[in-house]
Amino acid sequence: MNKKAILIILTALAVVLPFFTGAYVLSIFISIFVFLSLSLSWDMMLRTGQLSFGTAGFFGIGAYASALAVANLGLNPILSIILGGLFSAIIAFALGFVVLRLREIYFAITTLALTHVFSVIIRNLSDITGGASGTILPNAIFNGDPKLIYWAILLITFMVIGISEMFKRTKIRFAINSIRNDETTAKSSGIDVFKYLLLVFVITSAIQGVIGAFYAQQFAFVNPESTFSLNFLLLPIAMALVGGIYTTSGPIIGALILGLISEYLKLLIPYGHLVVYGVIIVLVVLFLPEGIFKSVKKLFASKDNVGSDINAQS
Amino acid sequence: MKKSYLLIVLSFLLAFVLFSMSGMAQEPIKIGAVNPLGDITGRQSTNAMELAVAEINEAGGLLGRPVELIVVDSEFRPEKGAAAIEKLATVDEVDFFVGGMSSGVHLAQIPSLKKYKKVTVWAGAASHKAEEAIGADADWYFHLHPWDYQQGASYGVGWNAIVKENPEIDIARVFLAYEEGAFGSDSYKAYAAMAEQASEGKGAFAGVMEEFKGASFKSAAMGGGDYRAMLQQAKEYNPDLFIWAGYDADAIPMLGQAREIGFEPNLYVGAPPGWPANFGRNPLSDKVILYGMWAPALNEVSDVAKHFWDAYVEMHDEEPATYFAPLGYTNIKFLAKGIEKAGTLEKEAVISALKSTKYVSPLGSTLEISPSNIIQNQGFTRQKILQYQDGKQHVIWPFEFATTEIEYPFSW
Repeated sequence: MNKKAILIILTALAVVLPFFTGAYVLSIFISIFVFLSLSLSWDMMLRTGQLSFGTAGFFGIGAYASALAVANLGLNPILSIILGGLFSAIIAFALGFVVLRLREIYFAITTLALTHVFSVIIRNLSDITGGASGTILPNAIFNGDPKLIYWAILLITFMVIGISEMFKRTKIRFAINSIRNDETTAKSSGIDVFKYLLLVFVITSAIQGVIGAFYAQQFAFVNPESTFSLNFLLLPIAMALVGGIYTTSGPIIGALILGLISEYLKLLIPYGHLVVYGVIIVLVVLFLPEGIFKSVKKLFASKDNVGSDINAQS
Repeated sequence: MKKSYLLIVLSFLLAFVLFSMSGMAQEPIKIGAVNPLGDITGRQSTNAMELAVAEINEAGGLLGRPVELIVVDSEFRPEKGAAAIEKLATVDEVDFFVGGMSSGVHLAQIPSLKKYKKVTVWAGAASHKAEEAIGADADWYFHLHPWDYQQGASYGVGWNAIVKENPEIDIARVFLAYEEGAFGSDSYKAYAAMAEQASEGKGAFAGVMEEFKGASFKSAAMGGGDYRAMLQQAKEYNPDLFIWAGYDADAIPMLGQAREIGFEPNLYVGAPPGWPANFGRNPLSDKVILYGMWAPALNEVSDVAKHFWDAYVEMHDEEPATYFAPLGYTNIKFLAKGIEKAGTLEKEAVISALKSTKYVSPLGSTLEISPSNIIQNQGFTRQKILQYQDGKQHVIWPFEFATTEIEYPFSW
């Protein structure tokens, strides 16, 4: 069976899943798709050679933009998700002119600090944002219907996968790879480094904003503590590392494996499952440093080579 | 021959019918709990729930049926807490929901709880936002922990009573030191509002609080830990009552630095969500006042508290260290009492029974239901004022549960 057929089957299975399962399984997959999209967006930025720790920050401001637009302006929740993405993109565009001048650890630390700064601003604009207590919405999106919520996040996830693949398949890929490998060479080849970095930063921040907005609408609330939680940074990174970075498949595999393992372990070992979960992540990172996707791919490739060598010898 | 065949067939039929009936009778009543099991509050609350269920089953169960407790870890993550409700409702098909803690997690669970509308007795989550999210119509929802605004008001009532009982005590000048994060900022807003009300002769602090000042500090839990600037401000203000709202990590260093700069208010009050383990063993802890729902010293004045303490230690081989332990026990016992009173699992009957159920809890107070600002079914409305004396937490207010009298003034 070729790759295309497998992808079509997997996509079809993902689409029809709500007809064969209940709200609990759907809620697990909804959560997996949320973190999968965040993981992919983090990886897309990493492909430029920039380690961004701003995932939780842009997730949070997207969530707030969406929630406040619904609560205060009565905007349609679906439109508010788009607004969340746009708002994060605008903020990223403005901040990009400053932070994208920085490189390596300085860029990483500054983007991490942004999350804290956003959270402090939100807390202090209490008349608009509800301050530390946050804001609640009258209703969850689609009145909490798990099937519709699942299909909505599935659609968003497909779009994120599409953007990631676009980064891998179009001309942008040459610019991004070149910037990551050697910025000076990229510049001397005529690549506008800043333009490409800004483009990727804005697109990935917009994705994070959309996901944050979706999350806020799914649970019908935002508050600084939960919405700017570092879980929205650390888990996506862990998923990308486990699955394999610089690819679309890596974060997808990482999110599916860690998302499912986390839930399974919880049911199996109610006390202490987080320890086992942590140990699994550490072991994968230690022994499969390229991630599961690339390691498995290499394993099959070496088997094929052995097979073809044997055939050649015989 | 035919007769004996007939008898055998009839005996089998009878046995089958009896067996199925007994099977039906033994179908357990399922209670679904969602707690953060990786945290001491959730773990001890779950331990206490297991104790309560074990006691109920030993006594013959409820309505002739055993009780089964199904626990799912919320991991302190909103999406996990919401998924836990979905699992309990659709996979385990529980009859009732109980739990849990963290307002953030609970806010994410509320859309799911509203979808299933099963009778829910919730122990934690104090944010008034959770109350707003539940709304006035949810007659199936019972909330046990006092809401944030009720806690603030109860301190005012408590201090009023203490001042009345001990005329030498004065709390006219209040200084609040608050950590700059969400918890501290909320505390400051609540106190500032109460101070404003008091200045107009209204609210719980009316008649006792005359002046109020606040200053923020960076909590040791958030990378801070130097409180000297804030403590100097407090010293210059010379308050009668000094309160700090931060985290357990601040408790000991703040006391040490206060002593170092010679700051000695007459009343030194700490209001963190939890205290460091063995804080009472630190000699600086003596006469420090704290707020809480429970103290181990309640064993001296309450038989229920003593029974709970002994049974918990026997079952789990550890001492309860947080009020979420007796609160978790109360959660199950109160629900069980309501079910027994209703005599059925029918929703309306259980709701009606719970509304009129009174349960003498190991927290000292009797749990009974009354409306709060928004919801119909609120349980506890007051916190307690406690004081460390000789290494032990004692209740000093409400007086009916007091295990000792207040030691005043605070001194090094």
